[in-house]
Amino acid sequence: MRVVRWIIALAVAAGVCWLFPLFHVVPLQAAKAEKAAAKFDAAEFADTFWNKRLLPGLDKTVKADVLLAAIQADPAAAKKKFARSVGFSDAYFYFVSGTGRVVSVSDDGVSLAITPGSTNAEVILLAGLIFGDAVRDGTGLLNGSDYSNSQDFNDMSAALDHLVETRVLPGLHEQAKIGAEISFAGCAEVDDEANDLKPLKVIPIQTKTR
Amino acid sequence: MNANSRELLKRLQPLAALALIMVALSLMRPEIFLTIGNLRNILLQISVNVCLSIGMTLVILTGGIDLSVGSILAFAGAVAAGLLKDGLTLTFFGVALQFTPFGAIVAGLIVGFALGWFNGIVITRLKVPPFIATLGMLAIARGLTMLWTDGHPITNLGPVFGFIGMGIWLGVPMPVWISVALVLLFYVVSRNTTLGRYIYAVGGNEKATAYSGVNINRVKLWTYALGGLLAAVAGLIITARLDTADPKVGNGYELDSIAAVVIGGTSLSGGRGSIFLTVIGCLIIGVLNNGLSVLNVPAYWQLVIKGLVLVAAVAADRIGAKEN
Repeated sequence: MRVVRWIIALAVAAGVCWLFPLFHVVPLQAAKAEKAAAKFDAAEFADTFWNKRLLPGLDKTVKADVLLAAIQADPAAAKKKFARSVGFSDAYFYFVSGTGRVVSVSDDGVSLAITPGSTNAEVILLAGLIFGDAVRDGTGLLNGSDYSNSQDFNDMSAALDHLVETRVLPGLHEQAKIGAEISFAGCAEVDDEANDLKPLKVIPIQTKTR
Repeated sequence: MNANSRELLKRLQPLAALALIMVALSLMRPEIFLTIGNLRNILLQISVNVCLSIGMTLVILTGGIDLSVGSILAFAGAVAAGLLKDGLTLTFFGVALQFTPFGAIVAGLIVGFALGWFNGIVITRLKVPPFIATLGMLAIARGLTMLWTDGHPITNLGPVFGFIGMGIWLGVPMPVWISVALVLLFYVVSRNTTLGRYIYAVGGNEKATAYSGVNINRVKLWTYALGGLLAAVAGLIITARLDTADPKVGNGYELDSIAAVVIGGTSLSGGRGSIFLTVIGCLIIGVLNNGLSVLNVPAYWQLVIKGLVLVAAVAADRIGAKEN
């Protein structure tokens, strides 16, 4: 009787597995190719995004002199008018461009005076290792909810930061000479208004000497 | 008051406690606590603990304890997620197995059952005390989870798998349906099957049960295996709900589960208790968690309060046992 019960149970299990297969057997090569095709290539995405959307999108920036004047007058109003924030985070971003004169240079940053005649550092173009999500989240060109896999979205940010380090910073280091005039576009993340606004710390996306 | 009335009163204690907490919270914050959304949220939040606690009830009814459910939960979820996402490569045969969501779920359940079974073998054959055996499994399963995942979360598991954690049917989240179905199933198993009767008997008086011809090792083996299986169900639910198999998930869940069982009135010495009372225990913990958050009680104080409730429940059980 017990054997019959086992046979019936196994038959039912086999039937269920036939109706709802547990897995599909595929050749190893085909499985590898499929996996490679399905895998998100953050570096490739970042490269395409950089060339086709980010650089053409620099016309969406707010001018640095306008932004700095607004911050000087009323930081809260400037935030409301020009900043972008993501989710519930207290941090916010400015997508900013402008021209300034180099007033000091270090390994970590190039300080610019934006206001004509000023010798104060009003903007620092970050020139060391780049961290954070400012480039990804600060432009408004990418929306996290479009990416179901948060890991892909994180990888995207790291790849964009890497592009800044490899494509923008070498040129900036060459351009950064005291007194030189540099045009820039980039993203600033403000976590702590007391420290991040004056001077405004910008991750450069494009820099040119004039 | 005769013995039957006393027993009935004792059984109603957890229900009375639940009602008292709910009335108090309803009076304090009716605009938040008494909303359909919040009550549904409580049910959703306790569904994982309900699954774990059903298994824990069976184990505690036999006089045992299972500290490994949180780790088994994590490993079962990770195995299912890993197989679903990456499949299984059989290099020797030159093929790969690409698992369907159904296959991944079955694999996760088998893993949970197998680890529970292993617990049972160690306890019954090697005579290792349940506390030590399952403490060992707590570490083993957590280590296996870390090895399987390389310590990284496995994400993006797809909508079909996600349905068991995020799906809604007739306005009720799927985890709630699953936990309700399991409660009903295991209530019947514990009350109306031979195994259920033996579980109570083993916990009530192990020696007498053995003398009456019951294979108590087999009963215990099945109890721990079912505990593992139910932990796997909980693991699949939480993995699907988060759309992520987090290798660190489930840490400390065994404590919530034991607390729910004890607060529900199941005796730690075994033989006394029921699945329904455990559900009441889960509800008490869930409502307490929710209510303390609604009342803006700091998280550290919430832990203190939950601990005190647990100690009070065990003390009540001990005092009751002494009186009997």
